[in-house]
Amino acid sequence: MTQPQDLPKDAAHRLEELEHGLFTSDLSVNEFLLVKEAGFHPLGFVMGSSIYHIGLQTRKWGESQELTKLTEAMYTARELAMNRMEEEATELGADGVVGVRLDVNYYEWGNDSAEFIAFGTAVKAEDGNSYRNAQGKPFTSDLSGQDFWTLMQTGHVPQGLVMGTCVYHIAHRKLTQALGSVGQNVELPNFTQALYEARELAMTRMQDEAGQLKASGIVGVRLEEKSHQWGSHTIEFLALGTAVTKTTGEVTLPKPITIISLDN
Amino acid sequence: MSANGAIDARAEMLSGAKSLAVASPPSRARGVTSDLSIDEALLLHGAGWEPVDLVCGVSVVSVPIGVWNWGQGEITVASVAHNAAVKGAADQLRDECIKVHGHGVVGVRVQVEVRTHHIDVELVGTAVRPIDAKNLPASPFVSDLSARDFTLLKGAGWMPVGLAFGASFAYAPRRSAGDVMKQKTQNIELTNFTEAMYSARESAMERMQRSALDVGGQGVVQVKVTEGPMHFARHAVGFTAWGTAVRLVAESHQFVQPQVILPLNDAVVAFEAQSLRST
Amino acid sequence: MSDSSLELPEAAVRRLESSAFSSGLTVPDFAACLDLGLQPVGLVQGFCVMRWGWYGAGSGYMRGMNPYAPGQQNNSGYAETYRCPHGFVSNEHRMWGQNLEQTWVEEAWSEGYGSAYRRMLDEAVSLGAHGVIGVTDRVNPLADTGTTEFHFLGTAVKVEDGPPPAGGVPWTTYLAGQRLTKSIEAGFMPVAVVATMASVRVWAYCMTEYLMEGSRGWGGPTSPYEVEQVSKAHMAVRQLARKQVRQQLSGDTLHGARIEVVNRELSQGDEVIDCTLRGNRMRRFKDFDDVPPPRPTVRLT
Repeated sequence: MTQPQDLPKDAAHRLEELEHGLFTSDLSVNEFLLVKEAGFHPLGFVMGSSIYHIGLQTRKWGESQELTKLTEAMYTARELAMNRMEEEATELGADGVVGVRLDVNYYEWGNDSAEFIAFGTAVKAEDGNSYRNAQGKPFTSDLSGQDFWTLMQTGHVPQGLVMGTCVYHIAHRKLTQALGSVGQNVELPNFTQALYEARELAMTRMQDEAGQLKASGIVGVRLEEKSHQWGSHTIEFLALGTAVTKTTGEVTLPKPITIISLDN
Repeated sequence: MSANGAIDARAEMLSGAKSLAVASPPSRARGVTSDLSIDEALLLHGAGWEPVDLVCGVSVVSVPIGVWNWGQGEITVASVAHNAAVKGAADQLRDECIKVHGHGVVGVRVQVEVRTHHIDVELVGTAVRPIDAKNLPASPFVSDLSARDFTLLKGAGWMPVGLAFGASFAYAPRRSAGDVMKQKTQNIELTNFTEAMYSARESAMERMQRSALDVGGQGVVQVKVTEGPMHFARHAVGFTAWGTAVRLVAESHQFVQPQVILPLNDAVVAFEAQSLRST
Repeated sequence: MSDSSLELPEAAVRRLESSAFSSGLTVPDFAACLDLGLQPVGLVQGFCVMRWGWYGAGSGYMRGMNPYAPGQQNNSGYAETYRCPHGFVSNEHRMWGQNLEQTWVEEAWSEGYGSAYRRMLDEAVSLGAHGVIGVTDRVNPLADTGTTEFHFLGTAVKVEDGPPPAGGVPWTTYLAGQRLTKSIEAGFMPVAVVATMASVRVWAYCMTEYLMEGSRGWGGPTSPYEVEQVSKAHMAVRQLARKQVRQQLSGDTLHGARIEVVNRELSQGDEVIDCTLRGNRMRRFKDFDDVPPPRPTVRLT
């Protein structure tokens, strides 16, 4: 039985085939052409997955708090999936992975467990320079082919997909509080405070990751909120973005033409 | 739209109306049927190709009884059936294409249904050929690229060579009752499960790669990966990977040099005639 | 026959006589319409409900079941017979099967579709229209099998300073707006909306029944096997639909064709496969101009 850190042997076999010259990519034709324009060539479709069991965590019904065990679980599971995807990309000799998608699948036969998958297309620069990030690993980014080309034209290079996650439990309101505000327009301080804190935690963690990559900024930040399978008082906040650094090259983005399109 | 454009359109409309004002005798010519929109037909024509006819391929392959009962590892019988059905349908599609003298099929719409006892695959697309081509190629290509993507790739020096496809089915592994209890409070990766799913997914991808190599492709674009449990057997999971195998036919890749534009429209949902109906 | 057997409802007559026009066009479509020199004159519709029998008089239930009685065979449509390779097995054993084109269903469908279409044209003619654009045709099976409603809706238009079409029959198209403009500029004139339906019934013989039901009672195949009868039926129904459409085209081109297939699995491997094919029949009125190669662009939103 292979170690969790190594790639399953089927993956190794498939990657070998890719190294012999066949490329695969889930880029659309538009994205394929733009990736070529940016001076990169697709090497292969890479993916990593991990089926993770998320343990129970007790929580106080009346207090808003972060559920650290669940946070750790969601984070570790995604990291495992992303790391395996990066390993496949490294195996192919890639400079980076574009169009990364993170998915979570729930299967009926796995209670409290979910499959975390990361997909993307590994690419390599055609000019022979290395575009790997500050940690020497291929960069990852959830940018589409179009956004990748546009970013490269502005003189920035992606470093890695950064994420911060926080699983927060929102206190239930006491019965007296609920009855007291019947019929009124009232702000719910519990909820406000809880959601505020949770989002800040997620975004701060994401920025810390960018710091580790020595990035100058993050683009395309997305904040997702999901209850997964925990019921409506427990929400996971996930902040995702692509960390970028400025290269020494000048901006080559041509001046855009403004148009008003007449069709829908 | 410029003033010139408006005048031209009116003149064209009048010509068109005049052409219908004369009753035409019934013609014995074989009309062209295509599922391309007018945009795609024009783009195709600009690239020097034309649509010929709508072509289909269908194959229904049976799955013997007992295949879906819970076992271990890969459900090879189902994988074999699936691949046979896709190959059967693609062969029929190619035959129809040859019959209408097409050089290839674009815009193939793929529909796969996996039922308890049989797997149905339907492929529908438009056969195309270079305008007024006389000779037939050895083997026409089949691709799920739209006509638009076909012309874009062709302009860049690439040609599709065939449909790349791979499928695999696997059983979800079981956990013993003891394991379930022990792992209840832990955050832990389920390595059995991970490996089983990984294995099946990689298998599907590898079969797709092999089918691309078989038709002489150098790469596969627009890979779509689907996965999910079977409706009728939730412990069985199916993985498929589809794409179009392509080959560089020009000396080297031709760069497109796109222009950057900044549209000033706000995104707005248009009111459509369909909403006049209550559905 | 070009007259519909029903008169226009009284409400329709009143609506069509009023001078303000209603149209199902969106604002951009309306703008494109005027650009082409088309004047919308009103919203027109046509409706029909058809019922065709499955059992009893006028149905095909008993047709084709007895190969030994000539004259009961369906000679005009597609039919393919399959014979059982075994010797006598039992009374329930299906010794032979057939793929049969259900021509009576197809006739009923085209009658219903045609009636609804002609009623829409009648409304358009009463407005003095030259054509109908933006047609939507909805074919809805109602509660019980065999009852279907056909509903057409479109915007009737007049070509400014243009001649009416030959025979006074308005031309029709699913297109509207920019797509219509592009077709006209490319030299294609819409002639009519064309749709047809082909229906094939699979009466399964023993081999098909066992393969589709997965039974292994008598030692059937244990590995995947192509179910030839059903595959053939599927291919046939699509080929029939395309052949029927070609007969209606009379040399013109069909653009934007859409194939929809519905199959109903019945017991013991039997099934019914219905294939509907629709599209815009267009006629060339000038040669292709050389289209300049389009500029690829990247949008910054």
